[in-house]
Amino acid sequence: MKSLIKTTLIALLLVAASALAANAQDSRIQMSSLDHLAAKASQTVDVNIDERLMKMAVRLLSDKDEDERDVKKLVAGLKGIYVKSFEFETDGQFVVADLEPIRTQLRGAGWTRMVNVTSKKEGNLEVYLQFAGETVNGLAVLVTDDKELTVVNIVGPVDLDKLAQLEGQLGVPELGIESSKTKKKNEEQ
Amino acid sequence: MNDDYLWDKTGEPDPEVQKLEEILGTLRYQPAPLEIPEDLQLPRRRNYFPWLAIAASVLLAILIGGLWLSMRSRREPTPIEAKLTAPAPAKEVTPTSSVTPEHKLPELKPEPREEVVVVHKHRPRSSAPLLSKSEREEALMAKEQMMLALRLTTEKLSLVHKKTQNPANQIKNQHRVG
Repeated sequence: MKSLIKTTLIALLLVAASALAANAQDSRIQMSSLDHLAAKASQTVDVNIDERLMKMAVRLLSDKDEDERDVKKLVAGLKGIYVKSFEFETDGQFVVADLEPIRTQLRGAGWTRMVNVTSKKEGNLEVYLQFAGETVNGLAVLVTDDKELTVVNIVGPVDLDKLAQLEGQLGVPELGIESSKTKKKNEEQ
Repeated sequence: MNDDYLWDKTGEPDPEVQKLEEILGTLRYQPAPLEIPEDLQLPRRRNYFPWLAIAASVLLAILIGGLWLSMRSRREPTPIEAKLTAPAPAKEVTPTSSVTPEHKLPELKPEPREEVVVVHKHRPRSSAPLLSKSEREEALMAKEQMMLALRLTTEKLSLVHKKTQNPANQIKNQHRVG
C-alpha cells in the first residue's frame, strides 16, 4: 500500500514537473521543420539564443552606450530569441505546407494573431503575440515572400514600449510602434 | 567405605563430610539481584564531539576570513602618487673671457616650478564577474547574434508597420485565433 502511494506521488510530481516545463516553453516555437530549406537558400540566417546565452550576451552590453543600454533593458527578462530567415534566388523554393507546423503551433492556446498583411506582390506578414494575463509573454513574426521566408520568435516578456524605443537604433528606421498605453497618453495630450 | 557419597551423594554419608558440608554450606552460591552500593560513583564517559565541531567551525571561519582579507588586500592596492616635476632651469653661464658681448643676452629667469601630481586611485570593479576567454568569446558571439536578431525583428516589424499604414494592403484580421 505504501509503495503504491509512493509511486502515485512520484508520478504526480513528474506530471507536474513536465507541465511546468511545458508551460515555461510555451512561447518557444519549434522551427526545425524549416531546416531543409537551408540547402535551397542563397542566404540563411539562423539565430538560436537561449536564456543562458542571453544572460552572457547581456553581460557584455555596456551601460555607457545609449543604444546598448536600451537593448539591455529590452532583453533583460527575455528567455530566448530564435530567428530563421531564408532568401532564395528563384521563386517557388518553398510551399505553404512548409510553414504549416509553425502555424499549427501558433494556433495553440495563448497566441493571438495581431496583424496579418497579405499582398500578392509583396508577400505576407503576420505578427503573433502570446499573452500571459495582461503581459505579453512571446512574440512571433512570419514573413513570406516569393523569395524570402523569415520566422522570428522572441520568448519571454516582450515590452513593446521598449521595443518601440529601439526604433532608429541598430541601423533600423523608425517603426512608429505605439503601445496602447502611449497611444492613450498621446490622445489625452 | 563407600566413596559414592563424595561422588554423587549416594550411599552412606560420612559424618565428617557432612559436618564439613554444613560449615561450608553457608558459603554456597545463592542467587540474588546485584546490589550496587549507593556511594559508588561510576566514571562518566565524556563526549567531545560538540566541542570538536565548534572548534573546527571556528578554525574554518578564521581560515576563510583570513583568505578573504588577503585577497581583498591584494585587490586594493595603495594609492600610488607620481610626482612630475618640471626640469630645473639651466644654470647661468658666467663668461670666462674678459670680452664683453655686444648684445647682452636676456637674463634667464627661472620659471615657477610646475608640479603635476598624478594620483592613481583604485577603481571599484564592475559587479559582473570576469569571464574566462572561452566564455567571453561565446558571449561576444551571442551578443552579435542577439543584435542581428533584434535588427531583423525590428526590420520586419517596420515592414509590418509600413504595410499596415498603406491602405492598399488588406488587414485580414486582428482577432484572437488561439
